[in-house]
Amino acid sequence: MLGSFAATILPIVVSSESAVVDVPVAQATDAFGWAALILWLPALSTVLCGLCAVMKVKSKLPGWITVGLLGTSFLLTLALFFSYEYENPVIIHALQWLNISWNGEGETVQFIANFALYVDSLTLLWMLFVTGLGTLIALYATEYMEVDVGKGYTRFFAGISVFLFAMSALVLGDNLVMLYLGWEGVGFASYWLIGYYYKKPSAVAAAKKAFIVNRIGDFGLALGIYFIWHNFGTVEYRVLFEALNAGGYSTETAGWSVRAIPYLLMLGAFGKSAQLPLYVWLPDAMEGPTPVSALIHAATMVTAGVYLIARMYPVMLLDEYALPIVAWIGGLTALLAATIGMAQYDIKRIFAYSTISQLGYMFLGLGVLTSFGAAYHVFTHAFFKAVLFLTAGAVMHGFAGQLDLRKVSGLRHMPGWRIVSWTMFYGCLCLAGFPLITNGFYSKDEIIAQAFITPGFGFVALGVIGLITALFTAYYAFRVWFRVCAGPVHFEPGDDHHNGEHGGGEFHPHAPRLVINLVLVVITIGAIASIFLGDWVLRGVGDSTAVYPSPHAEGDGFWANPHRWMPWVASAAGIGGILLAWYFHLANRSAAERMKNALLANGLTRWLPTAMENKWYVDELYHATVRAPLWILGHFLNLFDRYVVDMFLVDGIAKLPRALARTFQPLQNGILQSYAVSMAGGLALVAVLVVLMPQFVEWVRSVMGGAG
Amino acid sequence: MSLVPLMILPLLGAIGVAVFPGRRAKWIALGVSTATFLYSVVLAMAFDHWHDGGFAFASDPPVGWLDEFGITLNMGADSVSMFLVLLTTLLMPLCIWGSFTAIRERIKEYFAWMLGIEAAMIGVFIARDLIFFYVCFEFTLIPMYFLIAIWGSTNRAKACIKFFLFTFTGSMVALAGFLYIAWQHAALPGGEWTFDIARLTTFAATGLSATEQAWVLLALMTGFAVKVPLFPVHTWLPLAHTEAPTAGSVILAAVLLKLGTYGLFRFVLPMVPEAVVEYAPVIAVISIIGILYAGLICWVQEDIKRLIAYSSVSHLGFCVLGLFALNPLGVQGSVLYMINHGLSTGALFFLVGMIYERYHTREMSKLGGLAKRMPVWAFFMVFFVLASVGLPGLNGFISEFLCLIGAFTASADNAAYPGVLGPWYAAAAALGMIIAAMYLLIMTGKVVFGPLKEPAATNNSHGAKLPADLTFREIGVLVPLAVLCLYIGFQPKPLTDALEGPITQVLAVYPETVRQHLAENAPAIDELDRVILTMTETDSDRNKGADDG
Amino acid sequence: MMLAAIENLGSITLSHYIFTSALLFVIGLIGFVTRRNMIVMFLCTELMFQGAAIAMIAFGRFHLNASGQVFVIFILTVAAAEAALALALVVLLYRRRETLSAEVWSELKE
Repeated sequence: MLGSFAATILPIVVSSESAVVDVPVAQATDAFGWAALILWLPALSTVLCGLCAVMKVKSKLPGWITVGLLGTSFLLTLALFFSYEYENPVIIHALQWLNISWNGEGETVQFIANFALYVDSLTLLWMLFVTGLGTLIALYATEYMEVDVGKGYTRFFAGISVFLFAMSALVLGDNLVMLYLGWEGVGFASYWLIGYYYKKPSAVAAAKKAFIVNRIGDFGLALGIYFIWHNFGTVEYRVLFEALNAGGYSTETAGWSVRAIPYLLMLGAFGKSAQLPLYVWLPDAMEGPTPVSALIHAATMVTAGVYLIARMYPVMLLDEYALPIVAWIGGLTALLAATIGMAQYDIKRIFAYSTISQLGYMFLGLGVLTSFGAAYHVFTHAFFKAVLFLTAGAVMHGFAGQLDLRKVSGLRHMPGWRIVSWTMFYGCLCLAGFPLITNGFYSKDEIIAQAFITPGFGFVALGVIGLITALFTAYYAFRVWFRVCAGPVHFEPGDDHHNGEHGGGEFHPHAPRLVINLVLVVITIGAIASIFLGDWVLRGVGDSTAVYPSPHAEGDGFWANPHRWMPWVASAAGIGGILLAWYFHLANRSAAERMKNALLANGLTRWLPTAMENKWYVDELYHATVRAPLWILGHFLNLFDRYVVDMFLVDGIAKLPRALARTFQPLQNGILQSYAVSMAGGLALVAVLVVLMPQFVEWVRSVMGGAG
Repeated sequence: MSLVPLMILPLLGAIGVAVFPGRRAKWIALGVSTATFLYSVVLAMAFDHWHDGGFAFASDPPVGWLDEFGITLNMGADSVSMFLVLLTTLLMPLCIWGSFTAIRERIKEYFAWMLGIEAAMIGVFIARDLIFFYVCFEFTLIPMYFLIAIWGSTNRAKACIKFFLFTFTGSMVALAGFLYIAWQHAALPGGEWTFDIARLTTFAATGLSATEQAWVLLALMTGFAVKVPLFPVHTWLPLAHTEAPTAGSVILAAVLLKLGTYGLFRFVLPMVPEAVVEYAPVIAVISIIGILYAGLICWVQEDIKRLIAYSSVSHLGFCVLGLFALNPLGVQGSVLYMINHGLSTGALFFLVGMIYERYHTREMSKLGGLAKRMPVWAFFMVFFVLASVGLPGLNGFISEFLCLIGAFTASADNAAYPGVLGPWYAAAAALGMIIAAMYLLIMTGKVVFGPLKEPAATNNSHGAKLPADLTFREIGVLVPLAVLCLYIGFQPKPLTDALEGPITQVLAVYPETVRQHLAENAPAIDELDRVILTMTETDSDRNKGADDG
Repeated sequence: MMLAAIENLGSITLSHYIFTSALLFVIGLIGFVTRRNMIVMFLCTELMFQGAAIAMIAFGRFHLNASGQVFVIFILTVAAAEAALALALVVLLYRRRETLSAEVWSELKE
């Protein structure tokens, strides 16, 4: 009954014929041997940073080593980009890794997972912004982290290098095991860097939480890899896609073990990219230094999930419900995170929720079959979110750790803060999707418009959710900017003031110097440039494994084609949000407070601001439903182990011989004579036996013979 | 080349240590164990069976011992033995070097026992005679008993007795199994008494009936499962680990537990294939219970050493699971697991020992934020925790991944190596990955990071004034292990290539045995299906009738 | 049979010796079991020794070889040494408890 209901209601998005996607066939090549350096240079940088740590270097040397090597890595990526011809993906062998072969049924079966690079346009797109932004943010960090020179400076840059090594492995790897290596590697780098301020309990807790929540996702990814190996006998993309190209796998014939793959990969992607239900680690991850938040937790690492789904797009099509679920999770996460972001006061946390929300858009894009929109949004988001985080970092750096948007105001009127203010302004415009001049406008439109076009379960509703979220996004983005950068000049230093280098004197915010400003300007220019790179991304995605023709709109009239009306509607949503923010947070700042109080005063609406400010109590919910029961179970098992298994079973059995001994103990009475009697008695018994032996043997024989 | 010096050197060393004055004991022990290590490296270079799984350095002619029963002192090593011997000989100098300051009393005895246990452990790995194997297997208990009983901590009396009796009882049962095989072999027409492993293995695999195999499996499993240890016969381990001196814990975790899994690999798999196929699911379920059960227990431990001890129970569950996947991936993973667990968990015990030497406590609640006081220690701690968690790029990942993927693909529809496990087993075991991350990182978070917390009175009763952070000697102990962890993480190929031969041989009978087993059991399952089907049909018919009515 | 043996004293056979030896042994055993005095108990064990010794010499003579006598000489030597030791022990034990009774030492059982 229920099954047939689902079948009629859910339009089959991906029919069995279209599941056979023609993925470009990869070829091994010896031509780009040097490209492996893209991977090895960050690793070398880690080693050199390690050497610096051993030699106790007390200068900025590790920072410059990292920037230099990452920069070289970026240049090599550029070189690879220009020498790559858009035909077929190429595979560049780097190092033998896991490579096991055995004889099966007369032929040799091999499990191959080598270090090899799978270069196609999707890889290049990701690698360009990963290494490019990586270099720039490392450069930014050379100044940002200078307070820690000689203390944590080396550790920080070693972490950044490890991260870039792992991220490169993730993106460049030609097989799923190498992807998994990168996947867990970036998770570890993120653990390392979130816990950078390891004396702070909250930072340690956040690092731990990030790693463990990610591990839940990794569990899914690992199982997905096992299923792929089980069904396709390979973990290499090339062989996998060849098998899919060859056909034989469709949504109708695939068994459950094939259909499970998309869902497991999805779990991995949702863990790494902070989507429902595994998003909870990302806001806490803001405990790390700001460059880390910008690089890992906004621009690059968190897009790994999007990369995974894009890379595995043909596999995701193996189950017809997989992509709609991705879309719904993405859309709901976007909305949920935006509502939470609207009610936070910590600038970095607001941006963290905005990252979750924007990642939701990317998954929505993947789900509604515009892998181009998703990839483009990844690309544009990387730039503007990096700008936003880096400006937030500059504020934090300058105001002794102050991140409360109520406590800093009028930044743009202060001397030396102009570049920060205006780059942040541009970043907020991009985030809000301000029409025409921002990159976020184009990429977001693409996704939301496609949601209205692609037929699927409730995709129109998802489009509406996308629009509402766009309004919210514009509101909270400009809430930050109007509060912090506009308005009257006013500031309070943060907690780091007392133990910082400022001593006990009057607090003076120190404006960012050359390097930070330079990096901000360069990334902003990158953001502007990315407006014009849409076509390039479109072409690139079309040549990669993420290729899938998005459905076109049926009509051509203005209202029939969402791609035509979307710019207007989305602009309206964006500008509306900005105006709302302007009214509540610049023109009439007390209005926001009054509205909140009004909501709180009314018993019916009180829950809304409270729940939003408390992040919808999701952390508490997980604590109560997952962590606490497991913790209690752990204690129970501990007691069970100690008392039941060890004390009762093991010691109990060990006591049996002793109990047996107790029954014979009276024989040992210590009276010499009784021993003598038993000896003599025994002797007599033996003597009798010896004498009667022949008869005895006869008797035994008869008994045994009778039995046998 | 001969394997004999591998055992003779440490034994002579033990006597030497006992004879010479106490001051030199530690240096003699270190020298002897290093010499043994170097000799084993030379042997490894001369070893010419890295690729075909054959046995090298066989005793030629055979060395008799009790000729009337065919008991010999024959030795021989294939690549699995070589790796485990190398692991042992590498760890022993480190253990000895690592206990230079920790052991302050009865020094001569201590180092003599250390060398004695080395000889016994090596003997286990190179024996080609069952009785010789068994004698060495049991002889490891005696030095360990004294190591715990004399140099252990407060609760050592109970720990050493439990350790000894528990493992001894188990291996007695295993001995019974061995003797049964030998007896059956001798009882053959024209048969003779022999304890030659190769001959008995061939005999047992082909000459024993299914019932006999099942009983032999039970006997051998009893012995080896206690040693591994598997749930629920693991309780001696946390106790012994917690009470043993640092080097004792290291040896216990790194090598002694491997005697169990080595026994499973060397005897159980090749000797009783039919029974293994029959009962592999049961053993796998026990392993999985162990993985999850011990993992959750780890979570709530207060004592760091106890936590790591339970983590061994959890980790070796993966090892056994991989073994009973009965395909090359799983068994490769399992054998690698033996080596990798030895490296990373051994190092973790060293690290906890270093803390104990400084603060005289292992309570997590009394320690915190040690990264500030001991950055070098903190680095190594995090490194080995990650190796233990199975971070890719370090050694633990390779073996864990292979074990799990092996178990996963060990289903009936695997063409080359059908198995009796399958996705569900691997999925359940993989939950252990999450739990491992949880308990190890929570421990790290408490002890290594956070605000600094040290026990107030850290009076050093031994008078050995150690600096706050690690000394050169302590770093020297850890570095070789760390280097190997990284090397195996990135270059497992030399190892996997070398292990291919023995594993192929061990698994040679399995595809056919499993297929037979499946063929025999398939009708039964169909029958069950049919019964269930008819039952549900009648149910639905009845419901339909009710609806109509 | 016993009377017959006495009657034929002129021709003493092996059985006579065995009989004597068994008699000595049993007297010793009964003495050991019934007496509480440690010295007497010790003497009784000596009696059992001698019983065994007689049997051995008799058999040695019966088989016409010297091994029985060799054995007995050996036993006598050991018994002498042992007697010295045992009496020393008894003296020590007496000094502890001021009594020769064996019962007072029964707590040695544990």
